[in-house]
Amino acid sequence: MEDYKFLFKVVLVGNAGVGKTCLVRRFTQGLFPPGQGATIGVDFMIKTVEVENEKVKLQIWDTAGQERFRSITQSYYRSAHALILVYDISCQPTFDCLPDWLREIEEYASNKVLRILVGNKIDREDREIPTHVGEDFAQRHSMYFLETSAKEAENVERLFMEIAAELMEQARSKELPRYETNATSINGKTTSIGDSSNCSCSRLT
Amino acid sequence: MSLVKCCFEADAPGVFEPVIQKCIDPGCCCWCCSALRPRYKRLVDNIFPVNPQDGLVKNNMEKLTFYSLSSPEKLDRIGEYLFQRASRDIYRRRNGFVIIAMEAMDQLLVACHAQTLNLFVESFLKMVQKLLESSEPQLQILATQSFVRFANIEEDTPSYHTRYDFFVSKFSAMCHSNHNDLAIRKQIRLAGIQGLQGVVRKTLSDDLVENIWEPVHMDKIVPSLLYNMQNSRYFEKENATPESPAEERSDPPQFAESCMRELVGRASFGHIRCVIRPVLRHLDLHQLWVPNYFAIHTFRIIMFSIQSQYSYTVVEALMTHLDENSKSTPKIRTSIADTLSKIISIAAGESVGPSVLEIINSLLSHLRVSVTRNLPSSNDEQLYQEALINALGEFANHLPDYQKIEIMMFIMSKVPYSEPDSTASVGKGDVLLQSILLKSLLKVGTKYQTIHLNTTFPISFLEPLLRMSLAPDPEMRLLVQKILHTLIDRHRNIDKLATPTVNIGNLELVIEKSSRPDVIFVRKHGPEIYQALYESLELPSNTVENIEAVYTTLALLAVELATEETVLELLRLVLSLQDLALTSGQISNSLKFNLHAVVMSLLVLISYVCNITSLMDYASKLVEAREKEAVHLLPELKSRYDGESQLSTRLPPSVIIDQAVVSECLKGAGLDTGKLQQGPGYSSSSLQHRHSWVDSTGRSSMADINAGGAELDSAGSSPGVQKKLPGEELTFESMKRILTESGETRREAEEERRLQLSQLFRTAPFQDLVVKTQPKHDMLQNKLSEIFNTLTVEPRNPIQPGIPPADAKPSQTPAYEVHFPELFVY
Repeated sequence: MEDYKFLFKVVLVGNAGVGKTCLVRRFTQGLFPPGQGATIGVDFMIKTVEVENEKVKLQIWDTAGQERFRSITQSYYRSAHALILVYDISCQPTFDCLPDWLREIEEYASNKVLRILVGNKIDREDREIPTHVGEDFAQRHSMYFLETSAKEAENVERLFMEIAAELMEQARSKELPRYETNATSINGKTTSIGDSSNCSCSRLT
Repeated sequence: MSLVKCCFEADAPGVFEPVIQKCIDPGCCCWCCSALRPRYKRLVDNIFPVNPQDGLVKNNMEKLTFYSLSSPEKLDRIGEYLFQRASRDIYRRRNGFVIIAMEAMDQLLVACHAQTLNLFVESFLKMVQKLLESSEPQLQILATQSFVRFANIEEDTPSYHTRYDFFVSKFSAMCHSNHNDLAIRKQIRLAGIQGLQGVVRKTLSDDLVENIWEPVHMDKIVPSLLYNMQNSRYFEKENATPESPAEERSDPPQFAESCMRELVGRASFGHIRCVIRPVLRHLDLHQLWVPNYFAIHTFRIIMFSIQSQYSYTVVEALMTHLDENSKSTPKIRTSIADTLSKIISIAAGESVGPSVLEIINSLLSHLRVSVTRNLPSSNDEQLYQEALINALGEFANHLPDYQKIEIMMFIMSKVPYSEPDSTASVGKGDVLLQSILLKSLLKVGTKYQTIHLNTTFPISFLEPLLRMSLAPDPEMRLLVQKILHTLIDRHRNIDKLATPTVNIGNLELVIEKSSRPDVIFVRKHGPEIYQALYESLELPSNTVENIEAVYTTLALLAVELATEETVLELLRLVLSLQDLALTSGQISNSLKFNLHAVVMSLLVLISYVCNITSLMDYASKLVEAREKEAVHLLPELKSRYDGESQLSTRLPPSVIIDQAVVSECLKGAGLDTGKLQQGPGYSSSSLQHRHSWVDSTGRSSMADINAGGAELDSAGSSPGVQKKLPGEELTFESMKRILTESGETRREAEEERRLQLSQLFRTAPFQDLVVKTQPKHDMLQNKLSEIFNTLTVEPRNPIQPGIPPADAKPSQTPAYEVHFPELFVY
C-alpha cells in the first residue's frame, strides 16, 4: 500500500567517476554494476525506507559528474533536501575539487540543505586521502562525513538511513507543518486517506 | 468493527444484487468481503480481469464511467482507490494491472468534464508520478503518454495542481536516458520530450499553475531539448535550413527541435532571457561553439520561432555572451561572432529605434576591445574582427537606407581622429582601430544604395571622412577612397573606372544627367571634396593604388555630377593637379608621372562626359603628343619608370595641358571661364582654412547680433540663463549642426575658440575691450528687451540683463566665467 510520511529529495554530486551511480545502485537495487558507464544528465531512483516505524520515501537524483552537464545538474540542487558530495579516496584530484563543488552548492542549493561528505571506494588498496583529512574538511565546512564502499556495500545503507533520520528529525523539530506539506508535495494527504474513507462511510449512514 | 458495520449499513439496500454478480466472478476471493465494500470500489474492482493479459473489462468500464458521470461527487474517491490499487500492483510488480488501472483513469479523465474533476486530477497525477518513479521503462512511457493526454485536455476549471516540479525533473532526466537497449533508450527519450512538451503546454495555458519560465525549470527543459537536438543530422551540416519539419514524433532530435520551437514561440518578452541563458550555457559547456554549426542551427530555430518583435533581444543576449567570453580563445569568440552575423539579419528587419544603435555600438566596442587587446594582431584575432565586421555588414544590409546613413555617421563618429600633420600622436592601436572601423564603414557602405548625394553625405559625415582621407597611413587613405567610391557610384561604373585610361569610349559608361539636389550638393561641398582629394594626392607616401583610387573617386564624381556648372570646378582641380605634378618638390618623380597620367585621363573623361567637342579634340591631340614624346605620362600607372630622372628633366610644352587652350574650348562651348582663371586653383596653402572649417562656417552663419556674442558674454554679470541667448548661435544651420554633429568635433572646435577668447581677454588692454563691447551692447539690450517683451510669461526668466554689462570689468573676469556660456550650449 502506498503510504509514506515523508518524502525527501537527495542529490548526489561530485567529480566524474567517484562512484555516485554505484552508491545509488547499491542502495536502491542492492547491486554493484561493474563497468558502469558515465551518467548522462541526471538519473532518478526511488527508495522507501523505514525510520522509527515511519515510512520515508527518498527521491534520489544521481547527477552526471561530467563538466558538460553542469548546467542541467545544477538546476537539481535547488529543491534538494540533502546533498551528498562524493569523492574518491584513491584519487586526490577528486578531493581537490571539493571546494569548487561547495561553491556551486552555495550558489545553487538552498542554504538549509543537509550536506554530507562521502569518501567512496574504501575497498581500494591505493588510498590517497586519509580518513582524518576528509573528516577535517567536512568539519571545517560543517558537513556530515562518512566513508563508504559501494562495491563492498560498506556504510551505504547507513549513509542513506542516517540522512533519512536526520531529515526527519529536522522536519519534526523545526518546521514540521510547513516542511511536511512541502516535502510530501503530491502526497500531502496520505494520512487522510484512511480518514476520508471513514468519513465517507459515516456520511453515507 | 465499526467500519464494517458502517459499510454494511451503507450498502444494505443494494447488497444482494451485487453479491450474486460477484459470486459469478471467480476473481473475487471472498464474496462477502466484496459485498461489504462501497459500490464505487466494487465497480472499480470489476474492471480488472482475472488475467491481466485480457485487458480492461470493457463492459464494466462502461459501468464505471456511467457511474462516475451520474455521481461525479464520487469521482475523487474512485481516483483515490484506483491509485491505491495501482500502487499496490506496482509494488508487487503486477504491471499488467497497473497498465489497466492507468487506462481506466485515462478514460475517466476524458469522459468526465465535471467540476469535480479537480480532485480526480490530483489522484491521476499521483498515479502518473507513481508510474514515473518506477524503474520500468514501459511504465514510465505509459505514464508519460497519460500525462500528455491530460496536458492536452482543455480544462474549463482551473487546475489547482501546482506542483510540476517533479514532472519537469523526471522528464528531463528521461531525456538523458542512457538505457543499454538503444530502442528503449530512444523511446524513453522521446517520452521525456513529450512529457516536457506536455508540461509546457499545460502550464502555459493555465495562469494558476506554476510559472514554467522560472530558471529552475528552464535550466532543466532547455538543456534536455538541446541535448537531444545536438545528436541530429544537422550537427554535421553547415547549411541546414531550419524549415519547419513535419512533426516526426519518432525521431528524438526532430521532436526535440519542434518542441523547442514551440517553447520559444510561446515565450513573451520577459521570458526570452530565461530560454536563451540556458541555451548559451549549454553551448558553452558542451563546447559547441567550435565548430558552430549546431549553435547557428539552434539560434536560427530560435530566431525563426520567436515572436518577431522580440528577436533583437536574442541578438542582445548573444552580444552579452560575447562580452562574457572576452577571455575565451579567439576561436570561440569568432564562432560566436559568426553565429551573430548569421542571425543578425533576421533581427534587423524588426529592430527599430535605439536598439539599432545599441547593437551597432556594442559591435563597435567589441571591435575596439579586440584591437586594444591584441596589438600584434594574431591571425585568429583578425578572423574574429572579420566576423564582427561581417555581422555589422549583415545587420546594416537589412536596415532601411536612412538608418544606414545614421549608422555610417555613427561609425564615423567612433573613428579616432588625428590631425594629419601630427603623425606622432597616433598610436598603433589607433591606426588599427581606424582601419577596422573604416572597414566596417566600407562594409555598411557597400550595402547602401545612394540616391541623392546630399542625403548620403550629411556634413557631419562628409567632413570627418574627408579628414580621414588625409590620414598618414596610405592603407587607410585607400579605404576612405573605397568608401567614397561605393557611396558615390550609382550606376555601377566603379569597375570601369578602376584604373585611369584615355580610351573612355570603350568603357560603356552609364551616364545620367545629374539631378538638381546633386548639383546643389556639389556646388556647396564640391570644393571641400576636391580640396581633400588634391591634398591627398599631394602626400609623398602615396602608392599607385592610392592614386588610382583617387582617380576613381574623381572620375565617379565627374560621371555622377556631370553638368556644365560643375565641370569648371573639376577642370580647375585638374589643372591644379598638373601644376602640382610640375612644381612639387615633395613627391617623387614616378608619382609625378602618375599624376600626369591621371590628369590626362580625367581631362579625356570630363570632355567626354560633358560632350565638349573642342575639348575632346584638344585632349586627344595631347594624348597623341604624349604617345609620341612622353609615354610615361599616360596610363597605366607604374610605381617605377625606367630612367626616371632623365624623363623628368624636361617636359615639352606640347604634352602639357595649357590652361589657355582649355578655357578657349570652354568658351567655345558657351561656358563662363572666369572661374577657371581665378588665381591658382587648389593648393596646400588652404590647409589652414580647412581646419577651422567648422568654426568658420559656424561664424559666418551667425546673425549680426550674434557676431559679437562671444565677446559680450565675458561681461559676465548676468546669470547663465540669459547669457545663453546671445552666446548661442540660434540659426537653423547651427541647430542642425548641434543635432547632427558628433560631440567630439564640436568640443574640439569649442576648446580652440575658448582658448582664443580667454587669450584675447587676458592680453588685450582694458580700453580696447570696453570699446569692443560697448557699441554692441546697446544692440543686444534692444534685442533682448524685444525678446523678453514677447516672452512676458516666463517665470523662470527674471529680466535681469537690465544690469548694464558695461559696469562690469571684463578684464577682471575670471577665465571660468568666460568659458561658461560656451559650454552652456551643451
